[in-house]
Amino acid sequence: MKHRIWLVLGLITLGLLAGCASSGPERDINDPTNSLVFGYVDMDDAPTGVASAWITQVAPPSDTPYWGLGVSKGLFYNSYLPPGSYQLSKLGGSGFFAGQHEYAFPKQGNKTSLRITKPGIYFLGSYKYKKVKSGMFSQAKFAIEKINKPTEAELLKRILDESDNIKDSAWGNKIRARLAQLKS
Amino acid sequence: MIPRRLTFTRVRLAASLLLLGALSACVGAAREPVDSLSGLNDDETLVVGRIEIVPPLRKDEQKLKGLGTGNFENKVFLLTDDHYRVLTEEPVMADYAGRIEAILGKNFFVRSNSKPYFILGGMMYLDLGGREMNRAYFPGGLKASLKPGDKAVYVGAVQYHRNEFFEITKATIVDDYDRTNAEFKKKFGTKIPLRKALLTPVK
Repeated sequence: MKHRIWLVLGLITLGLLAGCASSGPERDINDPTNSLVFGYVDMDDAPTGVASAWITQVAPPSDTPYWGLGVSKGLFYNSYLPPGSYQLSKLGGSGFFAGQHEYAFPKQGNKTSLRITKPGIYFLGSYKYKKVKSGMFSQAKFAIEKINKPTEAELLKRILDESDNIKDSAWGNKIRARLAQLKS
Repeated sequence: MIPRRLTFTRVRLAASLLLLGALSACVGAAREPVDSLSGLNDDETLVVGRIEIVPPLRKDEQKLKGLGTGNFENKVFLLTDDHYRVLTEEPVMADYAGRIEAILGKNFFVRSNSKPYFILGGMMYLDLGGREMNRAYFPGGLKASLKPGDKAVYVGAVQYHRNEFFEITKATIVDDYDRTNAEFKKKFGTKIPLRKALLTPVK
């Protein structure tokens, strides 16, 4: 019985870690070709919150196109993306009553499409989940609506506050410089 | 371009299978491929054309997994209607009746009545099977000018240019009559000519 409790606690910890840290292909956080990509989604009206998020590299073609994003209370980010073209592709979450949910973004018409030609800080935007009516036997459908809050600056501050890993890396100064730029 | 109001979907396996089954069986019939001109009725025309994507699909860019999904490999569903209309929402099952099922880069030879018709748009599966369903849509607004008495008509090759996000940036009608006519003659003989009547944008 005791072992089972540890197993459950272990799985919960693993889940939390998966929710807080990026996963997928990894690179040195201080690689000068890295870009920091981040955004926010308000899932208050969704069946679940977000525990995992993935961004897909659509160009150049790759055998490992899925990059995990760190997730924290709606904020999602990755600090080591190489130059290329990307789209937010999937969010995942679960709830006690709602069960496991996966929110998939279409490739075509994806509002979060991003081309990174030079390393830098890229804000995908803040969005709000919105349910869209669909028939009983058709796919459950959702939309994401762009919202003004939280702002780019608010989210960058959160990244600095919540991730020592980023704060203590080359990103610390770059983010502070971007914040100063946004203030002026 | 068909508007994509819905950008955020929760994929349900059951729903995917329903749609897959529907396209395979329940939806109104597609325009039938023709192997012999003798099978055409007096009021019917053989329509010949081709759909291309520029740049073409890369290997593994279309991910089809699971039973029956192989039928959709490199296939574009061209939605047609005798009356011109603009699709303002994602197509519903009824919109797929009378569709042309075109394999990318290959000429299609399909049976049609001998009246003009319109291409309203197109759809292809990018991901299908498991818990995935991702579709790409193509713009329409094209007219096929068939005339009573036409036995075989070449409508051209529609080239859809796209970027890495699968946004269609340009659509052009390419006249590849000589090559297509050679294939037509090889397949159906030289008795009936292939009339050229390229698709035209609807004004």
